[in-house]
Amino acid sequence: MSDKPQVTVFAARRIVTLDPSLPIATHVAVRDGKVLATGGVELATQFGGRLDDRFINNVIVPGFIEGHGHATDGLMWRSPYVGFFPRTAPTGQQAGGFKSIAEVIAHLRQVEVAMSDPNQPLVAWGFDPIYFDGPRMTVADLDQISATRMVVVAHVSGHILNVNTKVLDKAGFSPDSNLDGLVRDSQGRLTGELQGPAVMGRANRATGDGGLMRVLDVPGLRDYGRIAQRVGVTTSTDLANALTPENVFALRAATSEADFPIRLVPAMRAREYSVEDGLARIAELKALTTDKLRFGLVKLVVDGSIQGFTARLRWPGYHNGAQNGLWYVAPGELEAIVTAYHGAGHQLHIHTNGDEASELATEMVGRAIAAHPRQDHRHTLQHCQMADSAIFRRMKTFGMCVNLFANHIFYWGEQHAALTMGPSRVRHLDACATALACGVPLAIHSDTPVTPVDPRFTMWCAVNRISSTGRVLGEHERITPLQALHAVTLGAAYTLKLDHLAGSIEVGKFADFAVLDDDPLTVDPITIKDIPVVATVMGGQVFTAS
Amino acid sequence: MIPLTVIGGFLGTGKTTLVNHLLVSARKRWGVLVNDFGAINVDAALIAAQDGQTMALTNGCVCCSLGDDLGDALAAIAMRQPEHVVVEASGVSDPWKIAQLALIEPGFALEPLVVLVDTAAFLAQLDDRWIADTVARQLSFAEIIVLNKCDQASAETIAAVRARVQRLRPEAALIEAIDAALPETALSFAPGPRPVASRFHVEAIGHDFPTYALSADVPFDRDRLRAVLSDLPRSVLRIKGKCFLGAEAASVLLQYAAERWAFTAAPAGLQPALVVIGTPELPAQSDLVAQFRAATLG
Repeated sequence: MSDKPQVTVFAARRIVTLDPSLPIATHVAVRDGKVLATGGVELATQFGGRLDDRFINNVIVPGFIEGHGHATDGLMWRSPYVGFFPRTAPTGQQAGGFKSIAEVIAHLRQVEVAMSDPNQPLVAWGFDPIYFDGPRMTVADLDQISATRMVVVAHVSGHILNVNTKVLDKAGFSPDSNLDGLVRDSQGRLTGELQGPAVMGRANRATGDGGLMRVLDVPGLRDYGRIAQRVGVTTSTDLANALTPENVFALRAATSEADFPIRLVPAMRAREYSVEDGLARIAELKALTTDKLRFGLVKLVVDGSIQGFTARLRWPGYHNGAQNGLWYVAPGELEAIVTAYHGAGHQLHIHTNGDEASELATEMVGRAIAAHPRQDHRHTLQHCQMADSAIFRRMKTFGMCVNLFANHIFYWGEQHAALTMGPSRVRHLDACATALACGVPLAIHSDTPVTPVDPRFTMWCAVNRISSTGRVLGEHERITPLQALHAVTLGAAYTLKLDHLAGSIEVGKFADFAVLDDDPLTVDPITIKDIPVVATVMGGQVFTAS
Repeated sequence: MIPLTVIGGFLGTGKTTLVNHLLVSARKRWGVLVNDFGAINVDAALIAAQDGQTMALTNGCVCCSLGDDLGDALAAIAMRQPEHVVVEASGVSDPWKIAQLALIEPGFALEPLVVLVDTAAFLAQLDDRWIADTVARQLSFAEIIVLNKCDQASAETIAAVRARVQRLRPEAALIEAIDAALPETALSFAPGPRPVASRFHVEAIGHDFPTYALSADVPFDRDRLRAVLSDLPRSVLRIKGKCFLGAEAASVLLQYAAERWAFTAAPAGLQPALVVIGTPELPAQSDLVAQFRAATLG
């Protein structure tokens, strides 16, 4: 060990710092895992450091921060992925990209043949039939894969399963039965499509451990770290974690590994605990915080999802006339929970999809502030997909932040235009420009595994607002590439109370960088999602993307 | 089959009070599944054993956490051989969604869906922009509606609540109560001895459910039986019993409740017959016999 700590100076074609005192640099000096200096070529000699010019042809931006992801993404890959869009597995291989039901079935037949244990259920995920024309998947399709093994195909929306006859039998769903959530064909027979948590839960119980109910473990966290690192992420939330002793053990073990490539910020699911126990638990966990694992966020869920018709909408409700969703927590209870955590000095991340849920959560935060005046709480509405300017103005008044689900514009925007919101309200789906115009601190997210974590893609969605059919939904809500870059770096850091440590390349902050092949601020905005990620640097340590 | 009663109602309507009351003053061995285990409040002297999310009482009752899956919880509580199971739905859920899942539990017979109302708060709740639709939806399939907390409401309010409830769900029987003190018979379709009126029972019992049996010896045609079941009037609350389906005469247990039904494997030893339970507007037995006979094979 030398007495003098090692200084490394990274040189790049361009460094976008998001530091207002030097927005663009070419060199960044790093010591002790932190930024020591930013500037030009003079840094190479100024600190007597080692010059690392491997990124000399690349563009360095602050490491991306996924402000709403789920580390369970790392567990999904133990099951085959059958999505319409290709997706990158932890190994780096492309999976899925199946363009018809026949392709899905053909793939799963191959998977089935390779399975050794005949009793092990075959559970696939990521199925997305909204992009297919023609008939929906049926029990007969899945019986082709196996008549003796349980087969489940989970839809990417999270609200529907398709199952084979073996699962229907095991779950006790007779083909002649008629219950809510069991879809039937024109002859009145079950199609094997199960909708909603009640009947889906029963099928998951029938398939047991082989299903989608796995508990987060160290290999799963490693896989999530790889997935996120490969797309330039250096910090990710795990935004709904029960934080049981088992969960915390896995989080601590994985993040203490020297080559674990990302920082994790789990949020405690408040409803796993009574308010009293939850307050004690989060206080106890905060003491375990390290540079790579930060506790302190508290997660609440107010409603369901828009595409699942379980979100709470204000007038005029669902465009197709569907009944309003049900609250996941009663308004009175929400007020009590928000007030308790707010009063104790914690930060809440509140899931609200529908506009009525966003309005309610904002109101309850306002009441909590009235009861316990407190600055800089940064309570954040997560998703907040249908908020209009009136809701954003109130959020600004109360000092709240927002993390909008920009990826929805591409993946479900057309569904929202046709079924859930109609052509007018879809224009302000995930209204990034309005949020910024109202002065609400903004982050944007993927909600991985719901949509794949990839901040380049999330930026692309917010900048272009292009749907899966290629049209622009809400041109006035588009934001600039700089605003979008801010939303996946410093903006996200702000919502996590990490902006003093991460999100920009400034002296004293973590040396967390995403190294890109080109500059997202100067390329044609339509190509932002395609800029190759070369590497990440996390705490000064280089992780290559390949 | 173990009788199973689902209890719904918005927060603060008295569901937990009702459950506590059942456990403490039990005249049967109740098995109770609750959402919030911590809210169960029984005298420590009455607790025989407590282990995680299960509490066994000295009077033979058992109380468990409902958890994530009704089927799991029912399987676990059935092992304790309760005489009657009560499921407490969460205050924001639609209890009918839970109740109909019980139709596919072959070991259980679905008793009336009981929904509690906070009589003193109900009219204001129906005007509340955020919860009005939730409260009304919870009543949509209720079979017994308990107007609870009648001691906190004026006679005028009680009359107004009755009128609103009857408009929302005309098929339900109404019971007025204080402190959620119900006769145990109010949780079953089966008529029981009328309890002695007391100060707790403002109106001790006010529900009569006409019941009769249909023979089911001849197998049904699947499609025609489905058509009959789809067209039954709302006055038919339950049909349950063993019958035979299709040319292969598969022996099945049918459980029907409010436009939803399930077939499961018939328990051994059960004689074929369908028991029909309904509101006072239930069609004449001869009409239903004719409809079901027309759906038989041969």
